[in-house]
Amino acid sequence: MKGFEFFEPTTLAEASQLFAQEHAQLLAGGTDLVIGMKALTETPQSVISLQKIPGLDGITTEGDSISIGAMTKVREVELSSDIQNHHTALAEGASEIGSVQIRNLATIGGNIAHASPAADTVAGLLVADAQVDIASADGERSVAIDELFTGPGQTVLAPGEIITRFRLPSPASGSHYIKHKIREVMDLAFIGVAAAVNLDNGTITDARIGLAAVAPTPIRATEAENLLRGNELTAELLQQAGEAAAAVASPISDLRCSAEHRKEMVDVLTRRTLQEAVARA
Amino acid sequence: MSEYTVVGQKVARVDAVEKVTGAAQYGADVHPPGMLYGKIVRSKHAHANIRSIDTSEAEKLPGVRAIVTQDDVPSGRRVFATDKVLYLGEPLAAVAATDPDVAEEAAELVKIEYEVLPVVQDVMEAIQPSAPRLHGDATKDGPNRRGISTQIRRLSRDKENDHSDEISRLEAALEEYPDEVYYNISAESHSEAGDVEKGFAESDIVVEDTYVIPRVHQTYMEPHVSVASADSSGKITVWASTQGPFAIRSGIAGTLGIPLTQINVIGTTMGGGFGGRFGVIITHIPAVLLSQKTGRPVRVQMTREEEFIDGRPAPGCVIKIKTGATNEGHILAREALAFWDSGSVSGASIGSTIRVRGVYKIPNLKVDAYGVHTNKSGTAAYRAPGAPQAIFAGESQLDEIAERIGMDPVKFRLMNMREEGDLVPAGAEEPKVGYKETLEAVADAAGWWDREAEENQGWGVAVGDWTNGCGPGGVYVSVHEDGSVRIFHGSMDITGTDTMISQIIAEILTVPYGNVTIRRGDTDSAPYSTGSGGSVVTFTMGNTAKLAAEDAHQRILELASERLNMNVDNLELKEGAVHVVSADPPKSISLGELGAYSLSTTGGPIVGKGSFARQPSTPALAAQIAKVEVDPGTGRTRVLKLIASQDVGYAINPMAVEGQIEGGTVQGYAWAMMEEMQYGENGNVNPGFVDYRVPTSADLPTVESVIVEVPAPNGPYGAKGVGEPPITPTLATMANAVKDAIGVRVTELPIKPEKVVQALKSNGH
Amino acid sequence: MAKHPVSLKVNGDEYDLLIEPRKTLLAVLRDTIGLTGTKEGCSTGDCGACTVIVDGKAVTSCMVLGVTVSEKEITTIEGLASDGELHPLQQAFIDTGGYQCGFCTPGFIMASKALLDENPERSEEEFRYELGGNICRCTGYTKILEAVLKAAEEVRTSA
Repeated sequence: MKGFEFFEPTTLAEASQLFAQEHAQLLAGGTDLVIGMKALTETPQSVISLQKIPGLDGITTEGDSISIGAMTKVREVELSSDIQNHHTALAEGASEIGSVQIRNLATIGGNIAHASPAADTVAGLLVADAQVDIASADGERSVAIDELFTGPGQTVLAPGEIITRFRLPSPASGSHYIKHKIREVMDLAFIGVAAAVNLDNGTITDARIGLAAVAPTPIRATEAENLLRGNELTAELLQQAGEAAAAVASPISDLRCSAEHRKEMVDVLTRRTLQEAVARA
Repeated sequence: MSEYTVVGQKVARVDAVEKVTGAAQYGADVHPPGMLYGKIVRSKHAHANIRSIDTSEAEKLPGVRAIVTQDDVPSGRRVFATDKVLYLGEPLAAVAATDPDVAEEAAELVKIEYEVLPVVQDVMEAIQPSAPRLHGDATKDGPNRRGISTQIRRLSRDKENDHSDEISRLEAALEEYPDEVYYNISAESHSEAGDVEKGFAESDIVVEDTYVIPRVHQTYMEPHVSVASADSSGKITVWASTQGPFAIRSGIAGTLGIPLTQINVIGTTMGGGFGGRFGVIITHIPAVLLSQKTGRPVRVQMTREEEFIDGRPAPGCVIKIKTGATNEGHILAREALAFWDSGSVSGASIGSTIRVRGVYKIPNLKVDAYGVHTNKSGTAAYRAPGAPQAIFAGESQLDEIAERIGMDPVKFRLMNMREEGDLVPAGAEEPKVGYKETLEAVADAAGWWDREAEENQGWGVAVGDWTNGCGPGGVYVSVHEDGSVRIFHGSMDITGTDTMISQIIAEILTVPYGNVTIRRGDTDSAPYSTGSGGSVVTFTMGNTAKLAAEDAHQRILELASERLNMNVDNLELKEGAVHVVSADPPKSISLGELGAYSLSTTGGPIVGKGSFARQPSTPALAAQIAKVEVDPGTGRTRVLKLIASQDVGYAINPMAVEGQIEGGTVQGYAWAMMEEMQYGENGNVNPGFVDYRVPTSADLPTVESVIVEVPAPNGPYGAKGVGEPPITPTLATMANAVKDAIGVRVTELPIKPEKVVQALKSNGH
Repeated sequence: MAKHPVSLKVNGDEYDLLIEPRKTLLAVLRDTIGLTGTKEGCSTGDCGACTVIVDGKAVTSCMVLGVTVSEKEITTIEGLASDGELHPLQQAFIDTGGYQCGFCTPGFIMASKALLDENPERSEEEFRYELGGNICRCTGYTKILEAVLKAAEEVRTSA
């Protein structure tokens, strides 16, 4: 690891100012940054810890909506009964990250800000229609989760901007996340699919499908969602939705598997997540 | 009930407390005062000419104390590359600094100028004329050309008769095999018994397949590490995490051109080895050179990434295999042609290709094997080296035949299995073996005969054989004046072997296990001992321990005879004392009293000595059954049951034996289902635990182990080596179970989800 | 690069240290304090050999910068036995043969301890998943799970 200056600001304003400097990196849980620095893929000159800034962690519920502080540990997201009950796909995604030890360190903000298309919490946040609160020395703003990412490792965040919170509006009635992998645990997602649905008397009134590791950024399968809205989930519709989701996937081939396999799995897993989400709704 | 009181018992291991409290000292835990941290400078290309190596910038970095290159190696043996690198990560130099991060930075500052060359990673490409050459243009003939060339040579030698027509015909025949001129060959091995062509002609069914097995890493949890300290007199001390300290001593002596007595190797507690920790490897010489140059102790420790790019893993291979059988299920012939990926140096367990013969009566057998150079690191042993690969091919194809002739796979195997007195194809007669007992035991334990499977579930069976090695060893036993017993030897403990030695000696000297302590010496102090691997330790050191204890036993009786004034024939050692046989009233003298008495005798203290090197070993079988469930949508496989039986001869410590069976079986499972070193255009692309997948506890059920005991005539208490057999059948066990579940065979490991989905599709799903 | 003063509380002992920010907690424990029971198996958080407990939570110490754990309570394998009495987990690993080479054992025991402290009422299946961050290459996990379940039983009955 290369040497760096270390800062532990206690206010967001101070952190934002430091982070706006060149060659600065934020330290949240450290599970991506520290490993990146060891691999020399990250060589920041200054590292700014967010760990001493009060108010950035914790899960709070207000009426139907839930707010998750960016510094909330992934393990806490996984075990939160509010998240498990109302945003099951997100809790399931959180439980898929690394090990218990890693989830005790990793934060949901870090998982998202790292902007890996394969992040396990991202599909769940996509189908929860999460809003991402962002702070900087210039003030605050909020973007929808599906507008946050611009490419692998790339976001709309400007220098000095820090994710502070994820706000989840009223939940869908059922959701589910499935990760395609080889090992049961400790694997990175070959692909990840989350689905969330609202049902009215058997008819799907709203459907959201989030896809991870199938494109340069996490994406929503809007075509498939549109097919579902206003209809009952038949075998035929399920097949159409799976195919529509696969059609928007533009995955790469890499050492884990081929693009073709990823596309096929989007189809298979979209059908499975939808079926389970509907069953839970 | 056992006739023994300590041997055969599940006693706690001698190193139990230090292992569970963090007190055990592994290689990287050694930290002599003033120690520097070494780092190896590695090639960033898989194949390149080296134009220059410039260490000047690195030397200027504060904290750097020395940099060594091949120029510092007195014997000229290749430690560092000089003019050409043959794989990504090949060592070019090494740096020592006061801090590990500084050493790493300095290594990055060494400037290497490369002229990049074309790379070859695949064995089937490497043998082609168009392939880049690693070591020149020499070629070898393939099996058919080889056969013809042999005939030509034979005819040419016969000067009495004119064979020119026949020779011309044969020379023309050679031209029919242009694809059999192989390049980049590192070694070859050939065996033959009977006449395979005749065997295939007489067969009702002949099956031919190609199996592909990936290169996998032993993945011992402790990465390679050495600490070296050269003192002002030139004496070198090396702390090494190794399976064999004595081989390191001779390796260092040879490389540096100094006598053995100038080197002391201290084996540290070993964080797994599985064959990957033999001899001088990677870290030892750089640590010594850096210590010699700085006059300070130096630790060279590899990272996990370095393990993957520059470890010495198990070779991958491609095996073309053909088997013929009758409709009644008799195997008549088998032929195999294997290409082993030996990487940049020769090696790879090509001789193990013969294990395609399995434990079956195969009258006609032909095996041709080649080691092939590729732009990868060299290979080394991994638990029954070469056997899992060969047996995967052999046992997979057996199931294909069993299926086509409609026979149960267990019955098919039992019908063809060898017994005592049967001829091993291209080998000698079988001694007393337990092949059938072992297979029957696993079938019974698994409930094979009334097995049930739901949709997409399947059962697989396979067997694998291995014979333990043996080698030299020495043990001393001392009996002290308080009756306690101390053992001294030089063999590295691998997973319980010190415990086994202690049990044997406690048994023979009839003392409680708790009264025996064991101490491993370094190469300066301990008697020579062979490396701990090849399943040798129980066989070798067990026999050695027995001899030492029996020697002490004899001395004890002699002392008692002196002391009690009784003939030795009337004395008996039991329960820690020497008793006069049938004395009334009972008369005895304790070991402690004899120990104390010995100190004032002419003969002196009680010291038993055992030395041993060689006795014939007996083959052992591992038989396994798996039940799996395959998800046809995603191609993922879940193992539901894994049952492993093994003929261990005799289980000196059943708990340790079960542990070996369970662990070896899971390594085999991993090779079958997930592990694979992957290579891209510039070398290894998965040098870490994210994409090199080692199974976790969540991937597995409880492994059920079944101990079978068919004693080995020369093993201590009948014991056979147990470490290696359990990995040998599992690759095929898993593939056979997947085939049973979904009707499709995956011939290329690992059985990743994508391959299952593809196989299902190609089968019309 | 400036070094930072750090007060570490390890196994009840306090250490006032001056450390470089790039040093991980694992490096500080092993190289600076000399507690080598915690092992380095991969240095990327993927094998669990370096597991220690920080403020009650098991973490992979190779991913934690030493400068971030000042004033936190750290427990390593060396701090587990008390008054010469082995922790039930340590005893169970011995009794069942839950270790072989022993290199992963400290990490396994620390990860298991955090789970038992949190809730010993876990099924075998739950333990299998929640201990998935600890790689063992020798045992095939069968005897490790046996050890953890045995210790869990003991912790439950003695509670």
